[in-house]
Amino acid sequence: MTDILRVDELSAGYGPLGVLHGVSMTVRAGERIGIVGLNGHGKSTLLKAIAGLTGWQRGSIQLNGVEIGGTRSQGPGRFTHRIVRMGLALMPQGDALFHGLTVADHLDSGAFTTRAWRERKQRRERVLAIFPPLSKLLAQPVGRLSGGERRMVSLARGLMSDAKLLLVDEPSLGLAPKISRGLVEALMQIDLADGAMIIAEQNLSLLEGKVTRLLGLHAGKLKGGAVTQDTALTPHLLHHH
Amino acid sequence: MTAKTQARDMALVGRRRWLPLARSHGSASWHRVRYPLTRRTPLLFETRYNPFTLATERRLVTVRPIAWVLMLALLAVAPPLLGNNSFVGAATLFEMYAAINIVWMLQIGTAGIFSLASLATVGFAAYGSAALSIYAGFPWWAMWLVGPAFGLVFGVLIAIPATRLEGFYYALLTVGIAELCRVYTVQSQPLGAANGGLFGTDGFVPDSMSERHGIILGFYAAFVLLLGALVLYRMINGQRLGRLLRAAPEQHEAFAEALGINYRAARIQVFLISSAALGGIGGFYATLLHGATPALFTMDQLLLLLAMIVIGGIGTAEGAVLGTLIVVLLDKVFISLGPSRLIFIAAVMLGTVLFLRGGLFGIPAQYQAWRGKRQSERRAAQSDKGGEIMPEEATEIADKQAIYTKRFDANLRAELKRLISDQLIEEHRTTMGKRRSDALERVLAHFRSAAVADKYAVLAVKPFAEYRIIALSGRRGVPPRVVDDRLFATPEEALHGVFLKRVQDLMDS
Amino acid sequence: MDPYYLVLTTVTLASIYGLLALGISIIWSSLGMINMAQGFTFAVSGYGAWLVAQNISQSGIAVIAAGVLTGALSGALIGAIAFIPLYDKPNFPLRSLIATLAISLCGGQFLLWIFGPRVKALPKIFGYGSYHIGTAVISREKIGSIVCSVALLLITLAWSKNSRRGLEIRAMMQNPEGAALVGVGLRSTAMSVMMVTGAMAGLAAVLLSQNYFVSPFAGATPLVKGMVVALAGGLGSVSGALIAAVLIGFIEAVTAVGLGGQYVLITQFLFIIAVLLIRPRGIGGMIEHSRE
Repeated sequence: MTDILRVDELSAGYGPLGVLHGVSMTVRAGERIGIVGLNGHGKSTLLKAIAGLTGWQRGSIQLNGVEIGGTRSQGPGRFTHRIVRMGLALMPQGDALFHGLTVADHLDSGAFTTRAWRERKQRRERVLAIFPPLSKLLAQPVGRLSGGERRMVSLARGLMSDAKLLLVDEPSLGLAPKISRGLVEALMQIDLADGAMIIAEQNLSLLEGKVTRLLGLHAGKLKGGAVTQDTALTPHLLHHH
Repeated sequence: MTAKTQARDMALVGRRRWLPLARSHGSASWHRVRYPLTRRTPLLFETRYNPFTLATERRLVTVRPIAWVLMLALLAVAPPLLGNNSFVGAATLFEMYAAINIVWMLQIGTAGIFSLASLATVGFAAYGSAALSIYAGFPWWAMWLVGPAFGLVFGVLIAIPATRLEGFYYALLTVGIAELCRVYTVQSQPLGAANGGLFGTDGFVPDSMSERHGIILGFYAAFVLLLGALVLYRMINGQRLGRLLRAAPEQHEAFAEALGINYRAARIQVFLISSAALGGIGGFYATLLHGATPALFTMDQLLLLLAMIVIGGIGTAEGAVLGTLIVVLLDKVFISLGPSRLIFIAAVMLGTVLFLRGGLFGIPAQYQAWRGKRQSERRAAQSDKGGEIMPEEATEIADKQAIYTKRFDANLRAELKRLISDQLIEEHRTTMGKRRSDALERVLAHFRSAAVADKYAVLAVKPFAEYRIIALSGRRGVPPRVVDDRLFATPEEALHGVFLKRVQDLMDS
Repeated sequence: MDPYYLVLTTVTLASIYGLLALGISIIWSSLGMINMAQGFTFAVSGYGAWLVAQNISQSGIAVIAAGVLTGALSGALIGAIAFIPLYDKPNFPLRSLIATLAISLCGGQFLLWIFGPRVKALPKIFGYGSYHIGTAVISREKIGSIVCSVALLLITLAWSKNSRRGLEIRAMMQNPEGAALVGVGLRSTAMSVMMVTGAMAGLAAVLLSQNYFVSPFAGATPLVKGMVVALAGGLGSVSGALIAAVLIGFIEAVTAVGLGGQYVLITQFLFIIAVLLIRPRGIGGMIEHSRE
């Protein structure tokens, strides 16, 4: 089993505010990890820290065995594009869409890595099969779509790339329960192959029973390595010490 | 604790500010010197009890007024006593530019209208009053009187777009307006296009005065102008209008409006008042230099002024004055270099914006922010502290016993972590209900002593068939929460699950 | 009033204004920075073209290429000084505005120091002579400058619409954080924006220097004009900037014919203030609004 992501003693924050305190976790190929926790306990910060978007951070983050973390005390987002090109896709809270561009432009923009750009046509077909409602909206500017459709565009854009690790921040935020359930279903159907997915979510019941592991994030620290499938807790412990 | 660590802890005494102390006795705490007819005091004293000696002491909250008075006194006395004619002339220019910048700060800082037409307002009034003096024979005192009127007219004209445009749109438009004025004055014959400016106005220096005395008179007139600008700044920024506008900062105007603050009217009011003041300075300019030139409207002059307020720090009167001082000094020190001395000024300006957030007077705040960030990062770097309280946090905790309790807990957890092994976990699984090893008993004793809040428990969903792990809320009436969705077939398995969770929490702490 | 003459003057002015305004507009919308050093780029490209014309070749292509190249380099320099160190710092828009102002102040004095105050003239790259269109006479240099600037405008628009780099820039205009998340390097994209807009200013400098001279502060007036055109068009709106360029060029032509040259700036400003009073976000803002 290969480790897609290996986080070791990660601390991160913004200015004088420390949000994450010594978080360690390992994500293996084929896993879907759910991170649950209340508002303000560091879920988004954890995902942002992996993408290099926090104000400062310390500790090691390895993506596919390549170090992308390390100590950084300024320049949020300065290396994000490089991390993204190494195989990360973050679908952030608030979607970070380009309001004036069309849905088709968004899907193209998701494929900015060199290989993906060449085969963006096939990839677009594949992504549209996961989110069928989007195929009718391709020529629409995103500013005119509804909240659920925007979230779909954001997820679809993330899936266009070569990403080995998909980070999804709060897929249900601001959406009707039915729509968010549908979105989570769509996320579960994605073929991860040798990749992995981390979903941060406030609503535990949305993820329960669907993901490989659930981790709780409380006050910037991981709580419990709750396991819902056969993978035991001990290997995780052993990795610690 | 060794003597060495104690010394280190003493050095890290939090972030209290040092304030000058005055001795106090009885009524001195309550007696205040006030300006006549107001409730304002010249110096702001705060009386408090020293927590160690319990003596009352009076602390001076800010030394700024004292610094202002000293600096202004120095400025009033030093140049005419010590300097030659050109030095006094430079000081006069400094005072005039400082006055312009202070009033400009009212527009940019207090009113939040990013107008780059401040110098254009001065120039408009200077040209207007100079023209009246030359073509209608106005004496110098009448020019001082019509200056503000011209400024007000110009202010009204450029305030109309200010009601609709925001931020940079307005800034760019005012740059364009200044350029328009420049082109007009360069082309217009009645405004002295042929002579490179409109010259020959009445001056306030009597003809009978010697040259030196005339320059010194000009210096003191400009000094009074600077004082006037400072008083105006204080009256507007520190009083009703300024406070209204401070409640309505950019992006948060809607909140102020919901409180019933008519911030638009207040902004325009401040803008018009300061425009009139700039016009007054323009009238003074025309009498001091006996005319006006199109240079008042050029981009380079505007840049020099902008350099002044940027170097000092946008938003404060002292920033405006200090920046003006630096730029005028640079300008005069390198005067032998000719126009290329502007390169030095631009380099200083560039360095300021590249490295400083809010100019020279923004350095303390920037340093505080930087130190806060570094402290937080350093705390994060010390990952082995294990829940102990760091010295700089300790200064903020009144009950010192809490610090030692935490330290004991941290040591205990570190000791117990060493006992956890795969064998121990296996032993717990297999020896349910039997006698256990000393190490396991110690670990279990620690787990059992945990506080009720968030303590794990086992819930029998279907007795003898389905068990779940829950966590107690620790509060009466608040039900426990489900920890995860794992189901156990026997109570033994569930208890072992609880044990694993606690081990996990222990290892993570 | 001769309609042919009016149309020709309008088109000539509009193409130059469009070139000047588009650069400022694109930089504002994609980098969030107001580039007050565009005037410096303008002046320095004029000198670059002059140096090549003096020392290497008088041919039109070489002179234009030299101007465009110098412009691109100057754009890159401005980006390296005013954008790269500041873009993720607090208070970026104001600080970068002041940084570009400082560069323009420094640069103007620097040019004065090196080349001296005497103005230089570029060779007439389009030759002499003129053509008759309808009742109006148009010189070869006017036709040349219209063709060059329209060609550059079209190439830029097509490039931004169809190429990958163009999509990256449009993505960055809309949402820099989102752009970083899809793998767009903000710094390298910003530098390419600065170089493209610098090249535009360089071309405008060569074209305008057919009628005016190259001097250290030649950039001030084009900067102010380009800025107010961009402002009237709506900062960040490409179509708005082009419409505003045509309208303002037309107003300049009409005023020059009907009232006299000295009133041009005044009527232009009255027009721009009127536009901004009606639509505080400029003409482009108006289009976007009516689309919703």
